[in-house]
Amino acid sequence: MRTNWASATAIALLVSLSTSAAHAEEVTAWRLFISDHADPKVTVVDAIDGEKLDTFEIKGPASLHRSESGRTVFAVQGSAGVVAGIASGISFEDHGEHGDIDVEAPKLAGVEITGKKPSHFVEHDGDFAVFFDGEGVARIISEKSVLEGKPDFRQVKTDAPQHGVAVAYGSHVLLSEPNREKPDELPVGISVADKAGAPIDGVHACPDLHGEASSGNILAFACATGLLVVSHGDGSPAIRHLPYADSLPDGKTTTLIGGRGLQYFLGNYGADKVVLIDPTIESDAFRLINLPTRSVHFAIDPVRAKFAYVFTEDGQLHQLDVVKGEIANSLKLTDPYSMDGHWSDPRPRVAVAGDKIVVTDPLQGVLHVVDATSFEKTGDIAVEGKPFNIVSVGGSGQTHEGE
Amino acid sequence: MSRTLKLAAVIGAITSMPIAPSVAAAENLRVVASFSIIADFAKNVGGDRVDIVTLVGPNGDAHVYEPKPADAATVGSADVVLVNGLQFEGFLQRLVEASATKAPIVELTKGGEVLRNAEEEGHHDQDQAAEGGEKHAAAEEGHEEGHHHHGESDPHAWQSVHNAELYVKNIADAFCAADAAGCDTYRANAESYGQQLEALEAEIKAAVAEIPEDKRTIITSHDAYGYFEHEYGIKFLAPEGVSTESEASASDVAALIKQIRQDKASAIFVENVTNPRLIEQIASETGLKVGGELYSDALSDKNGPAATYLEMMRHNITTIKGAILGS
Ligand SMILES: [Zn+2]
Ligand SMILES: [Zn+2]
Repeated sequence: MRTNWASATAIALLVSLSTSAAHAEEVTAWRLFISDHADPKVTVVDAIDGEKLDTFEIKGPASLHRSESGRTVFAVQGSAGVVAGIASGISFEDHGEHGDIDVEAPKLAGVEITGKKPSHFVEHDGDFAVFFDGEGVARIISEKSVLEGKPDFRQVKTDAPQHGVAVAYGSHVLLSEPNREKPDELPVGISVADKAGAPIDGVHACPDLHGEASSGNILAFACATGLLVVSHGDGSPAIRHLPYADSLPDGKTTTLIGGRGLQYFLGNYGADKVVLIDPTIESDAFRLINLPTRSVHFAIDPVRAKFAYVFTEDGQLHQLDVVKGEIANSLKLTDPYSMDGHWSDPRPRVAVAGDKIVVTDPLQGVLHVVDATSFEKTGDIAVEGKPFNIVSVGGSGQTHEGE
Repeated sequence: MSRTLKLAAVIGAITSMPIAPSVAAAENLRVVASFSIIADFAKNVGGDRVDIVTLVGPNGDAHVYEPKPADAATVGSADVVLVNGLQFEGFLQRLVEASATKAPIVELTKGGEVLRNAEEEGHHDQDQAAEGGEKHAAAEEGHEEGHHHHGESDPHAWQSVHNAELYVKNIADAFCAADAAGCDTYRANAESYGQQLEALEAEIKAAVAEIPEDKRTIITSHDAYGYFEHEYGIKFLAPEGVSTESEASASDVAALIKQIRQDKASAIFVENVTNPRLIEQIASETGLKVGGELYSDALSDKNGPAATYLEMMRHNITTIKGAILGS
């Protein structure tokens, strides 16, 4: 085990605050997991001091996902046909009034799920569903199994290969419905399978289904016509269609992310706009925000619920005030990254790690670090190769001597 | 509030304060109430001088409410924000942060006697604190050799009418602080509403007195009636705790069913803010008939039987009494 993971900052709290605890330390730890655009590897960096903690060799270039708990990071290796679980090494135990943090070395969890063309990865309530486009099959595994190193997955089939998605929704599974007439095109809706895998009602239409996210107790899929909004119904998921407002220009959402702390969704809408969505209200559910140029990537701020960030092709990071529905600040970080060319060309990605916003700059081989409070650049972290996808894991908690 | 009472209140204000500015405040006080019951109190105290926006509306469950960006905007432009406190509004801190409001956040349970859940809370939920776990800023409670005794406070203080009077007093204080010109009106309104609360309390006590003592154990969905029990002597059992956030486990339900059989519960009720399924299941397993719907953490909509606090409390005790005596 390496020792520098303990570079997590430690601040001893006044012992007099508690009567019986001999000693409690407040610890903050944040880690960045970064994949490479060309090489099969995941680099782990301590976000607090910028030190490299480890590099994991995997089988192909990966897109990364972190679990809600932050205990697991997944490397979805589309071309290699593998999804690998990585234990982040950071975990929390909630004690209501405070939380305990446990910090260990990150490691490959030893669980790999294989199949043809893994694509969309969705977590719901601690269950992960990976969709394998080449087979039209979803494989579902729990976080517990992954961390125990047990490849205990179950499998749910759709009728045909498709660029699809599945969500393990309690005892039901939501599955994209392939386009039968045009198998190369996006799915046309969502069907619901019960515990036994049997469809429980018809297909909920969602033409050009692409993009899924959760915010609080609501799940949404993006369609050409609007959103499919899923909430807990009486015994089975309740699904309704929220059409795009008439006031919106022509366009659709194909990437969706969900707010944390505040319940909302943020999606692209055309190339140079994003849309803020509150699916719980009837009027003004959609607020459109114009960007100066085309959008490259966007992320929500899980700590400062008021903000989300959008990176645009002119090399700027924008701070989006989701309450006011406007861009509050902009900051030039990189050379231009044109959205002309292939959708999967190396371009920046954004992650938030505590008080820092981190942006990958694949062509320069660096991560740009921005202070989330001042919205000013505070430094760079060099990463070998072409740092591309990025996720962060961490937080603050207490450690106790003798526990 | 009846028209006469309101008029009386206004006249009272004028006569007792002859030098008050003759022009009413140009703009009404912008008040945000976290949930429907507080909004009703605020309307009774504020009358025509306040505009109230309610975050968690009729039949809504504040324990699990998810605040929206629009709520943050509402709170951001408020003059006064009225909340229950005692962790009833789990969403409050993040909402206030996102709103960047300068308005006072007034906890209406301040100064009251707080009941604590007797059960030891042994939640060691893994993984709840994810990214941005900033809620653990300080060690407020000590560790006792690895055990965590928390004794959650019960936030449902409004279920005692006596406490409702405290809410009303705190609202009047908050309105006076924000709008001194209207203070006499607020005080007079609070006073007359307080009289209605006193009458209500007497009604509830009289109704309870008609229920034989050995028939005063009943079942609801969640532990929302601790203050009612404490004040009026009806024992409430529930499968869920003081928050609806965590669902009852199978063993909680089994233990409750056992207890119902031992304690000879007289009646069982669904609640307006929770799914009736679990209560229906317990009813069928114990042979109790569901005695109706109680209003716990929210009012009904304006056409329902509990559109105001006074109506809610009357509806609840009438429903309880009817189910027990009819059984
Ligand atoms: Zn896709
Ligand atoms: Zn409650």
